[in-house]
Amino acid sequence: MTALLRRSPAGAAGVVILVVLAVLAALSYLGLLPYDPIAQQPPSRFLAPSGAHLFGTDQFGRDVFSRVAAGVGNSALIAVVAVAFATVVGTLGGLVSGFYRGIADGAIGGVTNVLFAFPPLLLALSLASVLERDWFTVAVAIAVVYVPIFIRVTRGPVLSLREIEYVRAAVSTGQSRWQIMLRHVLPNITSIIVIQVALSLSWAVLTEASLSFLGLGTPPPAPSLGSMIFEARSLVFVAPWTLIAPGAVVVLLVVGLNLLGDGLRDTLDPRNRGNR
Amino acid sequence: MRSFVRSRVVRRVAGTLGTLFGVAVFVFVMLRAIPGNQITANLGTEAAALTPAQQLALERYYGLDQPLVTQFFSWLGNLFTGNFGWSARAQQSVLDLTLRSLPVTFELAVFSIVLALLIGVPLGMLAASRTNSARDAAGQAVSLAGLSIPAFLLATTLLSVFAASFGFNPNGQGFATFLDDPLLNLQQMVLPSLVLGFGIAAPILRTTRAAVLEVRADDFVRTARAKGVPERRLQVRHVLGNALVPIVTMTGLQFGYLLGGAVVVEQIFSVPGIGRQVLLGIQQKEYAVVQSTVLVIALAFVLVNLLTDTLYRIIDPRVRAS
Amino acid sequence: MPRGVLPAVGIAAALSLALTSCSSSSGSAPGAAASGQGGGTLVVGVTSDPDTLFPWKATQFQAVNVLQNLYGTLTEFDKDLNVVPGLAESWETSEDGKKVTFKLRQGVTYADGSAFDSADVKSSLDKLMDEKTAAVARASLSSVKEVQAPDPNTVVLELTGPDAALPANLASVNLAILSSDDTEEELNAKPNGTGPFTLGNRVANQSISLVRNDKYWHDKPKVASIEFRVIPDESSIVSAMQSGNVQLAVFNDPLVAQTAQGGGVEVAKTPQLNYHVLQLNAQHGDLKDVNVRLAIQCAIDRKQVLDTAALGEGEVVGPITSPAYKSDPAKRPCPTRDLAKAADYLAKAGKSSGVTVKAIVSQGEYATSVNEAQNLKAQLAEAKINLDLEVLESGAFVDRWVAADFDAAVALNGGRPEPDGSYGRYFTSTGNLNKVAGYSSPELDKLFAEGKAATDQAARKAVYDQVAAELENNAAWIWLFSGYTYTATAAGVQGFVPMANGSLQFLRTTSVA
Repeated sequence: MTALLRRSPAGAAGVVILVVLAVLAALSYLGLLPYDPIAQQPPSRFLAPSGAHLFGTDQFGRDVFSRVAAGVGNSALIAVVAVAFATVVGTLGGLVSGFYRGIADGAIGGVTNVLFAFPPLLLALSLASVLERDWFTVAVAIAVVYVPIFIRVTRGPVLSLREIEYVRAAVSTGQSRWQIMLRHVLPNITSIIVIQVALSLSWAVLTEASLSFLGLGTPPPAPSLGSMIFEARSLVFVAPWTLIAPGAVVVLLVVGLNLLGDGLRDTLDPRNRGNR
Repeated sequence: MRSFVRSRVVRRVAGTLGTLFGVAVFVFVMLRAIPGNQITANLGTEAAALTPAQQLALERYYGLDQPLVTQFFSWLGNLFTGNFGWSARAQQSVLDLTLRSLPVTFELAVFSIVLALLIGVPLGMLAASRTNSARDAAGQAVSLAGLSIPAFLLATTLLSVFAASFGFNPNGQGFATFLDDPLLNLQQMVLPSLVLGFGIAAPILRTTRAAVLEVRADDFVRTARAKGVPERRLQVRHVLGNALVPIVTMTGLQFGYLLGGAVVVEQIFSVPGIGRQVLLGIQQKEYAVVQSTVLVIALAFVLVNLLTDTLYRIIDPRVRAS
Repeated sequence: MPRGVLPAVGIAAALSLALTSCSSSSGSAPGAAASGQGGGTLVVGVTSDPDTLFPWKATQFQAVNVLQNLYGTLTEFDKDLNVVPGLAESWETSEDGKKVTFKLRQGVTYADGSAFDSADVKSSLDKLMDEKTAAVARASLSSVKEVQAPDPNTVVLELTGPDAALPANLASVNLAILSSDDTEEELNAKPNGTGPFTLGNRVANQSISLVRNDKYWHDKPKVASIEFRVIPDESSIVSAMQSGNVQLAVFNDPLVAQTAQGGGVEVAKTPQLNYHVLQLNAQHGDLKDVNVRLAIQCAIDRKQVLDTAALGEGEVVGPITSPAYKSDPAKRPCPTRDLAKAADYLAKAGKSSGVTVKAIVSQGEYATSVNEAQNLKAQLAEAKINLDLEVLESGAFVDRWVAADFDAAVALNGGRPEPDGSYGRYFTSTGNLNKVAGYSSPELDKLFAEGKAATDQAARKAVYDQVAAELENNAAWIWLFSGYTYTATAAGVQGFVPMANGSLQFLRTTSVA
């Protein structure tokens, strides 16, 4: 961590942004927000930002700051769980597929192609109708969409790596395939995976937003950044702060995640380090 | 040697057919998992007023009274005779609808990818040429913008700014295919491919930057540099040439995604592409439309993959060597 | 319930309105109709093309709008929703009310040139009543026993009993008169009606054109043709109006309409018959007890729902929204919110500790649904009534609604000019939507029968006032408010009359410069 902060100013900036947002989310989990994020106060509708309401109030008189804080927590939770699931399953799939080739490759490639060729909207609709609807379902639906991307992104490089001399050398020394995959191949694709994780996290935040809108995301009145943006989309004329606050936080979250991803990559990748 | 080639081709074809069959089964099942059918889609809440006899008549009319297995295989069987199904809503066969919408989306996807490559690759190389420099920061800024500005936001902004301020809104006129009116068609493609291309440029830029950084650290580049290969030649021939694998992967991925995933942009710019065809089919619960169209998209996908894999072999000396 | 608002359009519309509005208010939009659309073509922007061209099965808003301009009905509505002659020049009801004789208009022809006569009317009505046809408006003819065509210009309907609602019901395009020679298959491909326009060119998912019918029996349309141009996203329709590509559009969302105003585009607001309602299912759980329902009735400030969910764009209404029969929203138990009374009712029901009601809400079907639900939930919570929201994608919502599988439903239901048509099907014990309405009573059955039998307008109004009172006093449903539609027209478009039922029938009187 200190290495990251020292070596990569971008990564440091990312960490700072994410820490601030994490504090916000923590406030909401600990119940330390100035207002209840779902309590309605119709008499104080559409109040502009002020000392009492940092980000103003929405059409129900709810405090936008409190809702944003709670929304960060919900959105981040969904995105992290979804991407974690997709990363583990997808990377393993890509490793096996690229390294073993043959039948495993064919089978995994087949499933990937099936999932890829499928309109995400249809996938989300079906999953949401089949499963009980809560934040975990949303996370799973997003994960299913991202698994094939991780498979595809890792498989190509693994295919090349497998032909590289030191991997071949490792094979000739009689190490098991799993040992080789985990010890020699995986470290070499870390940077690709890390980029993909950062990208996917930010996409997942945006996907959750789209799903919220279709009635497939976080059920109201619980706030998520996505549902807040969509609720406020038509209010921008009347009360711009209802849109700007969650919008800016989404952008911050996305930017923070990407900066962190870049920083991590620059720091972690052994060859990159040597290059400096 | 020949038998080897033949078996590879056979395996590839078998794999493709397997994938397509998987898609067929998956889409069939998933569609039916969504609540509602063509009757409720057509009549909305008025469907509640149907008498049992009316309900039965409609089920027969839409072929919903058949057992699922029969529905599946009669649809699949019909595909082989070139009958992709009938859209009652459009009063056209799915084949005709697809022949019109697929080229539109294909055109859009090609323009978007070309644009994305034109933005992403040079900027990515530039950013990688000196990490943590001003160039790098500029590249980062572009890619962060591409990632964090949602397509629908950019699309509507562009559309309304151009329409309201300059009266330029070719997409407000009826859509023209390239054959109908090439000039209007190209005008109508400008904004949508700009929006899509900008979004896709970000992942391409990042992939390029990362791949270039990685390749540059490789021994052979150092060796080449030590041997005194001119820098520009080194960058293009040695570095970019070897960084192409992940770039091609990402490009193929994004292209495939565009074939089915450009719905939002198609909606905003009224581009009658294949994404919208699927969406309308889902909303209208026209099962045959969705099933056949998704299968066509899947086929296109498989072909793109095939192309990507072939490209690997051509560009990557290491895969080629094997 | 009006349909056709596409969920994914929503994705597209998200956030964007803002930008549309900013740029439109900045002014410099060019004059309308600049792009060679002039001459005799009116371009109407729509979000979807018709899902069917067969009038007897069309319920989608866009389909009804197109078909109304292609087909003729025996009766019609004027701009104030009074019943006026259509293909029937006049009609007479017998003393006992059991026989209606229609004199048909002569010299009317179909688009294909064939002549209209009583055989077409008889065959159409007979087919409409046949269950196998699966016509959506079959129930409108439930009082018809037999159709006779004694001569080419006369049709006689034998009724099982008096039915004052029949002439108004016949004005629906779902009861359009088709030529006896045509089949459903043929008409799906090529409509053949007696309306002011005939079908021109159609490109699926893109546009559908109507051409003036020069042999139309009434005033000939002023424009040579109309193009319904499909622009899936509402704010893109606004852009297309600003760039002069589209000359007329109808919006439901006040905020979209607001962005369209200016630069030569005018927006007119029309009150709607459609009403927003919290449907209760009195057959389910705690809601079986009228006191629980009345507690809900008293715990809701309707104005607050309107103000928070729809930004005040609309008016609080009672059950009947039709201008001629309008219910007074002040005449209901607790016309203003009364939490003490709500608590009393709950106590009477033995539920002082509170109740839980599960409500289904559709998302994407119309703009305000989820907002209404959230405010209702918050208001009811203060009366110890827990409204458990289940937000559903619109297909899933329709499924549950049709199966009456809910305690409560937040809905936008279609109102009709004729109160019997609006509510007879919901609240009579034999009504075909009674299962969904979840409430009926002998008193209501009696009142609806009286309403059908009464011929005098004042007497009918009195009957339907009692119907409304009965519905409100038993808190069958919780009626909330009605909104507006917004008609945007470019400069040079004249003569269009928006209607409270959302009909575009006055495209025939519209001219474009």
